[in-house]
Formats: sequence, structure tokens, C-alpha cells
Amino acid sequence: MDYVTTLKILVIGESGVGKSSIILAFTTGDYNASFPATIGVDYKCKVMEVNGLKVKLGIWDTAGQERYRTLTNSFYRDAHGAILVYDVSEPKTLAKLNEWVEELQVYSTKKNIVCLVVGNKIDKPRAVPREAGQAFAMKHRMLFIESSAKTQEGINLAFEELVQKIIETPGLWESTGSSSNIRVSNEERRKQEESSCYDYTCTI
Amino acid sequence: MDDILDEVVSSEDLQKFEKVFHEQLHQGKVTPKAQFEYAWCLVRSKYPTDIRKGILLLKELFHSHTDGKRDYLFYLAIGNARIKEYNKASHYVKTFLEIEPANQQVLALERQINKRMEKEGLIGMAVAGGAVLALGGLVGLGIALASSKK
Repeated sequence: MDYVTTLKILVIGESGVGKSSIILAFTTGDYNASFPATIGVDYKCKVMEVNGLKVKLGIWDTAGQERYRTLTNSFYRDAHGAILVYDVSEPKTLAKLNEWVEELQVYSTKKNIVCLVVGNKIDKPRAVPREAGQAFAMKHRMLFIESSAKTQEGINLAFEELVQKIIETPGLWESTGSSSNIRVSNEERRKQEESSCYDYTCTI
Repeated sequence: MDDILDEVVSSEDLQKFEKVFHEQLHQGKVTPKAQFEYAWCLVRSKYPTDIRKGILLLKELFHSHTDGKRDYLFYLAIGNARIKEYNKASHYVKTFLEIEPANQQVLALERQINKRMEKEGLIGMAVAGGAVLALGGLVGLGIALASSKK
């Protein structure tokens, strides 16, 4: 194990906006034009380097279909970061992100979870101006980026920005295993997570 | 956690969907949604008895409810792989891939199943070998008994 921590990243948004395609593009560099609907929940992991630190990302890809809504919300638990995806060629997918923000507020357990709004499919004719996505992200105090899983544009940058922000957020994550020179027992860890004070920083 | 087969349901989730299922069962009408949600939790349980129960519920859905067939097939594969019934799991994966040959999610599951089969292959063979020895012993005993009756 040569990474300092494992981060849980959640990818949510309406069915068909390209959540799985973004993850495939990020983890393998591949693209698939006809991507069938994700069944339930999928999981991929990838080790990436940010600020000279190696971190392992556990990426949870949730089905966007309505009938999975009641099943997928338990995966919000303990997520360090969330990627909210909409399709720039389908305006209603941005409007619908409001519902996903609500889900996130109800079910995520980490108070300072880092969120990133991604406007995907910029290779297609645009129906949502960049400013609209930006305004949405700003309103909810989230990061914003536009991408194309097809051309790879913005894909790596999206994950880099998200992970960078998580790493910079004190108290959101803990270093794992032997690379840490401080040992925190589970009990202390739990207490720290429960308290609203996030003043301590991790020393690696 | 490295792949989806390691994922385990939380006890809260299992209890929540179990309650809904049993309430409907009590009223005499279980919806496919409630049955699927309960089965989906069961096949992700850490207890093989739960997983087997989940598999039964999914099989029943597969034969009675055409809408969610791909979901049922996928979780039948997951459930069987988690109780090390790899041949059955592969069968469900292959059936799925006949309909959607390029499905990344299912292709990944197939790779994970094959990986586990390889990793546990030796152990499986040792168990089978042990069974053959035991059977041989029984046959030997039978012959000995039969000949002693003469």
C-alpha cells in the first residue's frame, strides 16, 4: 500500500448524462458510444497523485434511473467528494440536479464534503450556456467544470480539482496505515468526526 | 475494497428493506420493487444463508417479471459469485452478455469472477480431491461389507 489515504467519491445525476462514461474515460481513457444504463451501483478504483501525495480513489457510480433512487442513497455515507453531472445538450438535466443536491444534503454524512458540478458532452451541440452551470455551482458553493468523456476534455482536470480540494480540506480525510506518524484510535476518530470542529490537520 | 464483489450491505439497509418486504408479504401482495430491493440487500450480505435467500427471490422475479430482467441477471451473478458458485455466476454473466455483449459493467464482473476462480482454483480442487478420497473409502467399505456377508 503506497498511498496515503483512500477517498470515497460519489458520482450522481440523471440517467444518460454520462456518469459511467466519465469514470471510464478517467480510469482507462476509453470511450464507448452506446453505454447501457448502469445496474444498481458500480465501483472503480484508481490511484492518483495530487500535491505529491498518492491517494486511492474509490469511485462509486450510481444508477441514474428513478427506480434505483431508494437503493442508492445509502452509498452517500462517508463520501469525501461528490461529482454532480448534467448534460450540456439537455437543459432539464441541469434543472434536475436540484433534486440530487437535496439527496446529497439528506444522505451524506460528512459535513464538509467537497462537491463538483460537471457539465458533460461539450462535444455535442450546446443547449445550456456555461454561465448557467457556473451559476448553479456557485449558488450551492460547489466547484464547476465542463467536460467531454468522448474527447477526454476536462476529465482528468475534474478529478484533479476535486481531489485537490478534498486534500486541502482539514478534517475531511485521514491518512491510512504505516505512512502516518500519528496513530488515532477508532474511538478518537469517531469523536473527531462527530464534533463540529475541524481544526486539526493530518501530518504525514 | 478492490471490486464490487467485496461490497457488503449495511445492516440498517437490510433491515429497512426486509421490513417493507415482510409487511407486503403479510398483506398477501408483494410488489416486484419490494422483492427486488430486499433481494438486492440479501445478495450483498456477509452471510451465505442471506445470499441464498436473495438468489431464490431473484430467480422468482426473473421468471415472473419481464421488466427488470437485466437487473435480476446481474445480481444473480453477483450473489452466486459471493457464495463461490462461480460456474453459476459465469452462466448468468454469459446469458447477460448474449443480450448486451459490450456491457462494461458486466464484462468487469466477468473478469472479477475469473480472477477469483483462478485464485481459489487450487483450494476448490483440493476439496474435490478430498471428496473423491472419501467416496473411495465408502465404496471400499461397501465392498468389504458385501464380501463379509458371503
